[in-house]
Amino acid sequence: MPILSKSKIKDVLNQLSQNAELFVPLARGDESGFYSWNSYQEGSDRLMLDALNVLLPPKSIVFPQTERMYSFTGNGTTVEIKETFESPQPRIIFGLRACDAAAIACFDDVFLTMGFVDSFYQARRDNTTIVAHACYQPGANCFCEAMGVDPTEPVNADVIIRDTGDSYIWESKTDKGEKLSAALGALLENKEAKSPQLQPFKQQANYEGVAEKLKGMFEDPMWEELASTCQTCGICTYVCPSCYCFDIQVKSWGDEGYRFRCYDSCMYSEYTLMAGGHNPRSNEQERFRNRFLHKLQFFSERYGKPLCTGCGRCIVACPVGINIVQIINQVKEADTSVRA
Amino acid sequence: MSEHKCNCENPLVPGVVEVIDIKDETPDVKSFFVRSIGGGVPFDVMPGQLGMVSLLPVGEGMYSVSWQEEQEYLHFAIKRVGLMTNELHRIEVGHQLGVRGPYGNGFPVEECKGKDMLFIAGGIGLAPLRSFIKYCFKHRQDYGKIQIIYGSRSYADLCFKDELFEKWPQEKDTEVYITIDNPEEGWDGHVGFVPAYLEEINPAAAGKIAVVCGPPVMIKFVLQSLEKMGYTDEQVISTLEMRMKCGIGKCGRCNVGSQYICLDGPVFNLAQLKQLPPEW
Ligand SMILES: Cc1cc2nc3c(=O)[nH]c(=O)nc-3n(C[C@H](O)[C@H](O)[C@H](O)COP(=O)(O)OP(=O)(O)OC[C@H]3O[C@@H](n4cnc5c(N)ncnc54)[C@H](O)[C@@H]3O)c2cc1C
Ligand code: SF4
Ligand code: SF4
Ligand code: FES
Repeated sequence: MPILSKSKIKDVLNQLSQNAELFVPLARGDESGFYSWNSYQEGSDRLMLDALNVLLPPKSIVFPQTERMYSFTGNGTTVEIKETFESPQPRIIFGLRACDAAAIACFDDVFLTMGFVDSFYQARRDNTTIVAHACYQPGANCFCEAMGVDPTEPVNADVIIRDTGDSYIWESKTDKGEKLSAALGALLENKEAKSPQLQPFKQQANYEGVAEKLKGMFEDPMWEELASTCQTCGICTYVCPSCYCFDIQVKSWGDEGYRFRCYDSCMYSEYTLMAGGHNPRSNEQERFRNRFLHKLQFFSERYGKPLCTGCGRCIVACPVGINIVQIINQVKEADTSVRA
Repeated sequence: MSEHKCNCENPLVPGVVEVIDIKDETPDVKSFFVRSIGGGVPFDVMPGQLGMVSLLPVGEGMYSVSWQEEQEYLHFAIKRVGLMTNELHRIEVGHQLGVRGPYGNGFPVEECKGKDMLFIAGGIGLAPLRSFIKYCFKHRQDYGKIQIIYGSRSYADLCFKDELFEKWPQEKDTEVYITIDNPEEGWDGHVGFVPAYLEEINPAAAGKIAVVCGPPVMIKFVLQSLEKMGYTDEQVISTLEMRMKCGIGKCGRCNVGSQYICLDGPVFNLAQLKQLPPEW
């Protein structure tokens, strides 16, 4: 089987970045995330292939934080509108984990199904090749398996790499993956190797039946308790690989301008504020509840799977320690018969 | 779902239209008649469907298409309530706008065939209902008796006055009931809120479909009245309003439970509304 020796990893990354913009997990200063390999600074940046989840997910590669949609000229008597696609050149995401790959599968459901296809997303997605990194040693906050994600078989992967110690097993899964393998040529060796064994999870979330059960818990007093410490800072939505809500805004000067979209957060009160002041989710508790119900119930009802892939980032990022695993388990254990 | 039809394949990018006529409906509502540059409509709509109107560079807003006149124009009736609508009320005939659509499910015009129709509207809420009302008149033989109950704050605030007072009452088997909130000089019609007037008129539920649109408080009370009057949940149709951005069920903004009002709505029957969390 094709093997990628860890001693050749930089050669491989250099080779892959010849024909595409290559994104790899790096630690950079206080941050970590997926950065372009071209921007890698020997000495200050650190390659994080062996860390589990970097701080920021790779979502911006398929769904940028801000993205121009079209430009316009004229402000009245004649208007011209021109669709813009920003840099849809080929991209490779290298070394993302199963949870992040599954989150991209959630994006595919949102942007590419249900009546309308989002052309901006599709252009980026079609141009993206995914080299996913299978996990065998779940981290302190990982609970992907409980959310229906197999950490050893990342979905949506064009290539899966599996760590065997001093090398990775290189398994291409699609035509796009085959192309990468071909481009690497002799950098991949052919040897026998054995996949590692999946170790037990440290976080125990029990999501089974939770989506169903939540249907009857919209008015449960639990939400008020849980939301009472939330600062509605929105960090949880920003670090989440599967949160995709966006705003549409305009930038203009003189008779020209462009309209763009950018990340938004359902945690902010402006999110649903309407002219005249009516706001169906004006208080924090309502927004908090909507975020968790969207993740754990509404998305399941619509797309058949939760909008949480168990990466654990929000647990780490939340300044007040709100923990989605605890919420899942609390719902699971709640005795709704007494409250009804 | 209707096909996306504008000058590009991308549902988030508007096509350009020109305003061919503007009409004052009330002190704060204007009608805008738009058509594609070079003629024709930017897309075909069914009653109750929506269009996202762009005033460049100011903003975008979602509006019910109040009527599509064949392949000639789309008609929007827009109330001045904020930043973008303030600017919109200043433009003149010949101005060019962006518009994308059609969005939303629209009214169940087919399922209502053969039924008596009861339309209940408040304020600007008549704009979306009007597309259905006019559709019924256009296909008059397909629908039974038509009753329209409409109210607004004052006489001046009543939209589409020529139709309300002149045209619609002339239509076959049609009754138009109008009310204003407070008495005023020169008004000898009904005074009072829509829900109370509805109970006073008390249209029998048998064989009827009630379609309700207006401000959220009015909708809530009208739904209660209809229930009291014996209308079943399947006989009552309403529209929801949520803040919208994309219009195509992607941006996540307009959800009530697992439903996106821009895509799965804005039209729901009461049975469906009762399935949703009470967050609208
Ligand atoms: C399904 C549907 C049908 C509608 N049909 C009509 C109609 O036929 N005629 C009409 O006058 N108005 C209609 N509206 C309301 C309209 O979409 C705008 O909300 C309103 O015109 C906002 O005014 P503005 O842009 O001047 O406010 P601004 O102050 O500029 O608003 C700022 C932002 O808030 C959003 N927003 C504010 N209020 C609302 C609201 N009530 N609903 C949704 N988004 C809001 C706007 O999209 C805008 O992005 C409809 C709304 C919906 C959801
Ligand atoms: S990170 Fe924590 S405090 Fe901030 S919005 Fe999310 S749940 Fe609330
Ligand atoms: S909700 Fe939290 S744990 Fe779930 S995918 Fe998002 S960041 Fe990860
Ligand atoms: S407006 Fe974007 S989902 Fe409805």
